Amino acid sequence: MSAVEYLDLLLKALLLAGVYAAMAVGMTVVYGVMKIVNLAHAGFLMLGAYFALEMFNRFHIDPVLGSVIALPVFFLFGMLVHWVLVRWLPKSDTPTLASLLLMFGFWLVLQNLAYARWGNEDQSILTPLTLSAVHIGDTISIPKVNLVVFAAAVFCMVVLQIVFHRSWFGRSMRALIQNPYASQIVGVDDERTARLTFGLGTAFAGFAGALLGMLYSFSPDFGRPFLLRSFVIIVLGGLESVSGVALGAIVLAILETFSTVIPLPWYWHGWQFYYLPPSYQPVVPFALLVVVLVIMPKGLAGLFNRKWKTA
Amino acid sequence: MRRTLAFFGQIIRRTSILALALSGIVTLCTGTGRAVVADDTIKIGVVLPTTGSESKPGAYQKEGIELAIKQINDAGGIMVKSKGKKLKIEEVFYDDGTDSKKSASLVERAMSSDNAVAVLGGYSTALGTAESVMADRYKTPWLTTGAGATAIFSKGYQYAFGSLSPVALIGTTSAEFLGSLVDQGKLKKGLKVAIVVENTDHGTDYVNGFNDWNGKHKGYFDVVLNEKFELGATDFSGILQRVKSAHADIFLSDAHLPDYITMQRQYLQNGLHHQMISYGARGPEANARQALGAGTDYIFAGIWWSNKLPYPQAKKFAADYKAFTGHDVDSWYAAPAYDGMRILAKAIETAGSLDKDKIRDALKKVELTDSVLPGQKLKFSANGQAEYPFVITQNKPDNKVDIVYPKDAATGEAVAPIPNK
Repeated sequence: MSAVEYLDLLLKALLLAGVYAAMAVGMTVVYGVMKIVNLAHAGFLMLGAYFALEMFNRFHIDPVLGSVIALPVFFLFGMLVHWVLVRWLPKSDTPTLASLLLMFGFWLVLQNLAYARWGNEDQSILTPLTLSAVHIGDTISIPKVNLVVFAAAVFCMVVLQIVFHRSWFGRSMRALIQNPYASQIVGVDDERTARLTFGLGTAFAGFAGALLGMLYSFSPDFGRPFLLRSFVIIVLGGLESVSGVALGAIVLAILETFSTVIPLPWYWHGWQFYYLPPSYQPVVPFALLVVVLVIMPKGLAGLFNRKWKTA
Repeated sequence: MRRTLAFFGQIIRRTSILALALSGIVTLCTGTGRAVVADDTIKIGVVLPTTGSESKPGAYQKEGIELAIKQINDAGGIMVKSKGKKLKIEEVFYDDGTDSKKSASLVERAMSSDNAVAVLGGYSTALGTAESVMADRYKTPWLTTGAGATAIFSKGYQYAFGSLSPVALIGTTSAEFLGSLVDQGKLKKGLKVAIVVENTDHGTDYVNGFNDWNGKHKGYFDVVLNEKFELGATDFSGILQRVKSAHADIFLSDAHLPDYITMQRQYLQNGLHHQMISYGARGPEANARQALGAGTDYIFAGIWWSNKLPYPQAKKFAADYKAFTGHDVDSWYAAPAYDGMRILAKAIETAGSLDKDKIRDALKKVELTDSVLPGQKLKFSANGQAEYPFVITQNKPDNKVDIVYPKDAATGEAVAPIPNK
């Protein structure tokens, strides 16, 4: 493969990373503030895709706009779920079995409600953007839909960063992530912040699901393969760091994309080069998860923080 | 109020597992159903995925089987000599949720707890492979209507049967079809072929079938890339880049429906173009055409059945299916399931008994002479797998589909090479 072809793949990997980051950030903020591993995240992703489909089919609203509309709708939905279910969970500094079971069960309920409502057929959103691409020379082609999805994801991540650092709510969230007890002493309303955080996490899941619905076909089972990736990204990013999520998403997307196209040297009666079979590609996120947990349990963000502190 | 809420909180805190149980109940309610046990009936187990990633083909196969059951029951049932009367079929259906472990355990349940005289099911190869081990263990005839991999039938099972022709034949027939286009002068000799198949026995058989023909017909095609991908992959950019770098003239894949849609979408977005393109047995499905529009035009597929087949019984089946389900039979999935149930009924009648060994012996000999499948005859070879020819279809613009091979069943001319838009 030529250097230009590798550049083409790098661009595609970076575009993919944008969606991965939007997909995982909701899970990160919920974990950071509430120490809940939100397994229902996959269900919210799936509902986001169907939300964009319904907007598109019923009201002819472009799925990109649909994904933006999904933000406030899923924010309210998330707050409702928190008020009805999540707030009754016992508070803890570490994830509890009760929270895992509750969120897993809720995911299955969402999945089966989706089967009842939309059936089991694979659905797709076909827009004029879906199959078109921007071609640069003969080799580089960038799907327009991926560009749009990337731009929407990056825009929302930037807004989230601003909210995180410039608003009362953002400061409360960061305080709870750093030290829940000290933050309560200085007057942070943990119950209210948790409710808003769960709403925010759900909003981002719905938003990312709507964007993913533009890239892939989906059914009520949609979300399952993305849940593992979200896990890997937040573990890689350091579990509680939004900027770490962006870094984790880039690392995962690049590794997944390049794992099957980088020739690996192998010595057997002289040097030979082999490609990792594409059927081994799903191993990449699993292997990455294990490596990160063993070598740097605080993720990439923890690694950088340590270096900065040392410096 | 506060105390009431606190009490409510206590309950939820202590019983959060309730949500899990509730979801299980919802799953059961939406996913499975069991017929009421009756005395004078023939109990047939049916295990197929009607939820999960294979739900669409699984639902089609269920409809095919249930249409056959309805027609048989409407005609009074199956004549069982040992009982001295006709008995109606009682279906015991389970949804395996596209989970191979669940699929195997549900077949086990149908064969043991439900004591079904035979079990139908097993879509796709992965699920069929998991189910197949139960047949000889419980000495109960098992007939897969959706698994065509030869690996299932090469293990010497005595109670396993399959109404799908071997998958390897798709590869062979696809190669034959492409070879015929070379002979007609539509394609040049010595074209480079890139093959990318799913990492299953299905994919392996497809490649073996293609290579088998290609090995015997030197000079027709040169395979420059042969790779496998994992089922349910979401990103094919790496493998498609390697297809691009291989500078192949023909792109052949063997994929299930969701992978076909995802890969073809990314194929088009990457600006790829080949003289011919195929996704094995996938191509004319309505879902794919809805998802990709004109992006599926000119894809050819080797399939087990087409509603374009000129046989009167195939046309009657298509009409009956529409009347039964309310929708057209727009893919091949239902036909092998329909005939699978019919040949099982014929075997039970031939056996003249509900003894499982006798039904198994009858299945080995019986022949369905009015089959709706290509060749119009369905019977099982010595290893239990049916063997009948495939038809090649090609998608045409405006949602049209033509049979383009073999010539005697063709409804239109093959377009080759594919026009570059």
